[in-house]
Amino acid sequence: MKKIIFILLPLLMMVGCKKDLTSLNVDPKNPQVVPSRSLFTNAQHTLANTLASSSVNLNIFRLIVQYWTETTYVDESQFDLNTRQIPRGVWNTLYRDVLKDFEEAKRTIPNDVADAAVQKNQITITDIMEVYTWYYLVTTFGNIPYTDALNIENPFPKYDDQKAIVDDLLKRLDADITALNISAESFGSADIVYEGDVAAWKKFANSLKLKIGMTIADADAAKAKTTVESAVASGVFTSNADNAQFNYLSGPPNTNPIWVDLVQSGRKDFVATNTIVNKMKLLGDPRMPYYFTFDATGSDYSGGVPGASNNYATFSKPAGPLLVPGSAGMITNPDFPHLLLSYDEVEFFLAEAVERGFSVGGTAKEHYDKAITASIRWWGGSAVDAADYLVGPSVNYLTAPGSYKQKIGEQKWIALYNRGWDAWIEWRRLDYPVLQKPTGALTEFPMRFTYNVDEQNLNKKNYDEAAAAIGGDVVTTKLFWDKF
Amino acid sequence: MKKLLSLMAVLALFITTALAQDRTITGQIVDEKGNPVPYATIKIKGSSIGAAADQNGNFSIQAKTGDILQVSAAGLEMLEIAVPAQGAVNVTLKSGDVMREVVVTALGIRRTRNQLPYSAQQVAGDEVSKTRTSNFVNNLSGKVSGLELRQTNTLGGSTNILVRGVKSITGSNQPLFVIDGVPFDNSTTNTTDQRTGRGGYDYGNAAADINPDDIQSVTVLKGAAASALYGSRGNNGVILITTKKGRSGLGITVNSGFSWGQIDKETFATYQHAYGGGYGQYYEDPSGFFLYRDIDGDGVKDLVVPTSEDASYGGKFDPSKMVYQWDAFDPNSPNFNKARPWVAAANDPTAFFENSLSSNQSVYLDGASEKGTFKLGYTRTDDKGILPNSKISKNLVNFGATYNVTPDFTVGGSINYSGITGKGRYGTGYDDKNVATNFRQWWQTNVDIKEQKEAYMRFKQNVTWNWADPSDLTPIYWDNVYFARYENFENDSRNRYFGNINANYKIGEHFNILGRVSLDNYDEFQEERQAVGSVTTSAYSRFDRTYSETNYDLLLNYDQDISTDFNLKALLGMNIRKQHITSMSSSTNGGLITEKVYSLSNSANPINAPLESDGRREVDGVFAGGTLSYKDMITLDGTIRRDASSTLPEGNNVYYYPSVSIGFVFSKLLPDLNWLTYGKLRANYAQVGGDAPFYSTLDVYTIVPPFGSQAQSSVSSTRNNPELKPERTKSSEVGLELAFFKNRLGFDVTYYDAKTFDQILPTTVSTATGYSSKFLNAGTIQNKGVELSAFGTPIQSQDFSWTINLNWTRNRNKVVSLFEGSENLLLATFQGGVSINATLGQPYGTIRGSDFVYTNGAKTVRTTGTAAVIGRYMTSTTSNEVIGNPNPDWIGGINNTFKYKNLSLSFLVDVRQGGDVFSLDLYYGLATGLYPETAGNNDLGNPLRNPIAEGGGVILPGVKPDGKPNDIRVEAINYGTFGYRYTPAAGFIYDASFVKLRELVLTYSIPSKTISSWQFVKGIDISLIGRNLWIIHKNLPYADPEENISAGNLQGYQGGAYPTTRTLGFNLRFKF
Repeated sequence: MKKIIFILLPLLMMVGCKKDLTSLNVDPKNPQVVPSRSLFTNAQHTLANTLASSSVNLNIFRLIVQYWTETTYVDESQFDLNTRQIPRGVWNTLYRDVLKDFEEAKRTIPNDVADAAVQKNQITITDIMEVYTWYYLVTTFGNIPYTDALNIENPFPKYDDQKAIVDDLLKRLDADITALNISAESFGSADIVYEGDVAAWKKFANSLKLKIGMTIADADAAKAKTTVESAVASGVFTSNADNAQFNYLSGPPNTNPIWVDLVQSGRKDFVATNTIVNKMKLLGDPRMPYYFTFDATGSDYSGGVPGASNNYATFSKPAGPLLVPGSAGMITNPDFPHLLLSYDEVEFFLAEAVERGFSVGGTAKEHYDKAITASIRWWGGSAVDAADYLVGPSVNYLTAPGSYKQKIGEQKWIALYNRGWDAWIEWRRLDYPVLQKPTGALTEFPMRFTYNVDEQNLNKKNYDEAAAAIGGDVVTTKLFWDKF
Repeated sequence: MKKLLSLMAVLALFITTALAQDRTITGQIVDEKGNPVPYATIKIKGSSIGAAADQNGNFSIQAKTGDILQVSAAGLEMLEIAVPAQGAVNVTLKSGDVMREVVVTALGIRRTRNQLPYSAQQVAGDEVSKTRTSNFVNNLSGKVSGLELRQTNTLGGSTNILVRGVKSITGSNQPLFVIDGVPFDNSTTNTTDQRTGRGGYDYGNAAADINPDDIQSVTVLKGAAASALYGSRGNNGVILITTKKGRSGLGITVNSGFSWGQIDKETFATYQHAYGGGYGQYYEDPSGFFLYRDIDGDGVKDLVVPTSEDASYGGKFDPSKMVYQWDAFDPNSPNFNKARPWVAAANDPTAFFENSLSSNQSVYLDGASEKGTFKLGYTRTDDKGILPNSKISKNLVNFGATYNVTPDFTVGGSINYSGITGKGRYGTGYDDKNVATNFRQWWQTNVDIKEQKEAYMRFKQNVTWNWADPSDLTPIYWDNVYFARYENFENDSRNRYFGNINANYKIGEHFNILGRVSLDNYDEFQEERQAVGSVTTSAYSRFDRTYSETNYDLLLNYDQDISTDFNLKALLGMNIRKQHITSMSSSTNGGLITEKVYSLSNSANPINAPLESDGRREVDGVFAGGTLSYKDMITLDGTIRRDASSTLPEGNNVYYYPSVSIGFVFSKLLPDLNWLTYGKLRANYAQVGGDAPFYSTLDVYTIVPPFGSQAQSSVSSTRNNPELKPERTKSSEVGLELAFFKNRLGFDVTYYDAKTFDQILPTTVSTATGYSSKFLNAGTIQNKGVELSAFGTPIQSQDFSWTINLNWTRNRNKVVSLFEGSENLLLATFQGGVSINATLGQPYGTIRGSDFVYTNGAKTVRTTGTAAVIGRYMTSTTSNEVIGNPNPDWIGGINNTFKYKNLSLSFLVDVRQGGDVFSLDLYYGLATGLYPETAGNNDLGNPLRNPIAEGGGVILPGVKPDGKPNDIRVEAINYGTFGYRYTPAAGFIYDASFVKLRELVLTYSIPSKTISSWQFVKGIDISLIGRNLWIIHKNLPYADPEENISAGNLQGYQGGAYPTTRTLGFNLRFKF
């Protein structure tokens, strides 16, 4: 009997010992605290990826505005948003993967940044990035969760009115512009766009304010005017050197996502559309070799029919030597930078502001010329190329046909090549260029995205209210700033 | 192997037996009333020597003194009796109180039927070892009511096991495996991508490590009352395995089996033979179906297959048309630079599948003496699959021994080793390594699979039919399938050690104390490859995982007849369970530097840090149970258990749960009813508590690979919760067992109702919160159902018998509540715009996607809209309709056994009625024009792929919005008409019912008379075995409705499904 007790003793000991079981439940492989700037970098990176991507699961805006079309699997070119649940991809990425990390960075910056001025700059820059992100959400969906958003304690966030959101974004930008302290540091190299240059962020904030101000120009001219004028007075981009661009690296996983989609994958999904190629040919656009490769003839450019099945070998493709050896563009380089906000864009807004009677200085033609020149230079063309192009009668602002909306709309569309999301916003607002209805289109042109389908299950009451408030959760519902 | 043999020799010497001389034993068998029992069976235990009694119960058999005779007869209790030194053996069999043998229940406690107040169904070891499959669990299909199995057709793939339906919304629903009282891990480590059809390999479930040759019996504990003592892990039911014990004397069993298999063509694609590669009429030549290039340099443009197109919506076959195909651009092909007649391939992908081959060899030694018992088993299994370059080998060693230190004190131990190595498992899901996805969804019917084989074999190069372009000879979407199999293969291994040491001490007459320490330890290693030159970026990845669980058990048993009528059994125990799981996965980044070198250091770019996980859990449990029985007629049973778990927050981490059961053998009160042999009513109620997954209380960040030198991190998409409390299940059950006519007929019927509530789950929330999900106690699932097991012996005579066993299960599952206002919990999204969900008020696992718009119940076509969509089906405005339910209405199995003298034939028919499956294979494959439905003639008798102007096109069945029959003809000239492009996801939901001839076994035992002269052999059985021979009925075309991607909660989705393998084999068993 004694022996047995000895044998069983270890077992009895284990029962007897009081243990702190809960301490076992601390994950030894994942941190409970991280540097706040690592959250900022990640969010900035994810945001840039979302805007730059050409994945048909996430970013199909190049197809909608007819820069590219698909070869064989043409669903997205025909506006099929459902099969791949593209609105879900956009919604989830921007809310959960971008905004939440920015928000968390803001929350934790005071914990690990000692200098008060740096701390304030960092929080302010993060807020500017948030406003920038919200801009895409609100212009894509309309009413969205905003005041209740990013708060897990409220799992059923209500949707805010889209106009109220835009007003609030402008308010936040004003506060941010005031708050930035140019004489102090900010994120340093954790900021991939400006390496922490606070003065550059100030120009960025003003330029973004200009952009949002112009977005509402048709809906609220008075507010647009004061917004735009104050932004310009405070200092917007004045050259390509001011451009906000996300500078990708050449090694995966930190490359431009287009390289992954076009080059690394080996897929041959996209060709140019005849919409843009024909237009650029007509105008003799010097950006053509930077945008597209020669077609099957080896000496000319042609594009496929949007929405139709297109033979890959036949048509021009996005330019870049990695995709088509010898071609001039850089789009397919793994480290091709993605533009978040650009000088040419600012000049186009200024040209339009002049036409709308806002006091921003200069003439519409001056700004228009500067915009086109800046775009050509950024893509690799020379000043001479630009000057030659601008005298073409269909390009020359004074002789080109149509209203200012048409002139600016068409040139801006060309300049915004590779930035399909922005082009889609501007196309809806300016109603130019005239796009052709894709072959086999399943719906009319999307004027917005339908909401993330999950909202119907997870946040139904608020979803229903929002859908009713905007005039129906369908792609043809126009958003408040899209008056015409 | 040599070492093993010498070890076995030593052990054989360790226990020696005197070989006594056989003599003829005679005797008579009578029942309690003294009436002779006709045709009883007499068998020598541990051998196949047997005899049958005659009509008057008289028998004779060759045996020696000390042999154990097993005497059985229908309706009577089996009896074992030792052969006396001299004289006749007269046997009295008790009338059948007990329908079958003693049942092993929770914690290894043995109960007679009478004392069993809950549902537990036992299957003999023979049933799972006789017809070999790579995973013995598959052999339970159709043999136990309440148990639903779903097997995959991949080699070594995982088997989904459900006992009484899905209970946990996001946790595991797989039952607990327990071997001789010790939990045995049955994890499936398939990745999320694999489980959601995005590619990867099915590495199987770890229960496949169990050696079927070592199984004495399998008991399935179905309800919470039966499994309450196992705590939360028993919530999903328990598969209790009792291994063989050493028997007196020395026994040697040698088993040798081989089997061959071929695909069941009913479960694979059938191709149309009229049109070749292409997507439609928009290429370069005047007809629009071909590329138009001058290939031979004669200045005239030639017809070329659009090689980049992975569809068969191209040019109509025409032997007079000369076309340059993929091989015209392969300089090593005899067809280099040659055009070929435009015809369908002589060998379609069916010819890709090889014959499977399995070998199963085992040696089993056992013995016992008064000092103890031992056993040693070795089994070697080799399985070669239906795909080239696929093989799984298993080495299983079992050793166990007990030693009687004193008559009251026994120590024992066992150690089991299993080593599984796999190579070339089948790629799954929507992936270039899944050849079935290639064959079923994206193929050119003009491509001859044998020519693809030759093209690869010549120089082992990726000579694919799917060139990006004749001027760009790189694969675009699909590799040469042989290249994919031989170069992009995986390999894996799992080494497992499972064993325990125990000590058992009898204290006086009524007490018994058991102490046990047991260990379940394994490491897994998986390597995956993507060769340089493949469609996707070359890569190498490895995954290392270790699993360790240690259990410390202390059990005090008490058993006493309190009076002549009352018996009390009581139990007090404790269990400490420590679990530790670690894993690490790592892969190359952006390609390989040198081809065919598969190492992390061969990465083209610096590799990202490996992903590590490290999970620990400890659960401390104390439990008590008592069973009071009255006259073996009424049994009252109760248990209570207290657990403290490390995964729950302090203050909420202790929980209690009870069970009560009652059993009433009412037939004891009705001795006059001659036809009623046995009748029992039972009822029980139980609660079970459960803890949380690892690390679901404290929030952590995810570290993202750095951007250059800049650190990156992200908020985890799941919000943890420091206020979690234990989850709960309440279940109740009533059952009735009846047997008639001396057990010639009987059944066991059970009704159960179980609710699992306060579930700990990462509830999906609106991502506008910044998270995808939040851990909460929320959600209730209810399972109600009826189980029926029945048996009958329609014929029983001296030489011939026919027995039937039937199992039938009907489970109704419902998601009763979810988190507050949410109406759906998204479990996973899949390719094809569908998702699997827990939807409020619906059965678990609903398939959601776009639906048709119905007018008076008929599918409606559009009459307005863009030209492309007029005459095509209208689609629901949201892509979120419930379009399918994967749960069957009922499942069942019928086994028939015919015995004639030494010959026995049995066959099992396995049935599943109802349940839906979404087929991505048809979603795409009908669009790409592979199947006969997409070709042929239309209602006008013209080729439907002709333009409408030429009498082609189709009128889709359905109505127009005004309810009138559809009369709008639509073009079927380009890809997509029949597939996904114009048809909502609901169009690809199929009924997954099936009736299968699952098993067919013909066994011949060489008569004892024949072998009695061979002194060393005790028995020889020869079996002919067939498995999955015939799918008698199914509604899913071109595939096996049972096929799934992986075990787990996501069922009802097929993509890249493999065909069923029909196997036929033989098995030889020698007993010495």
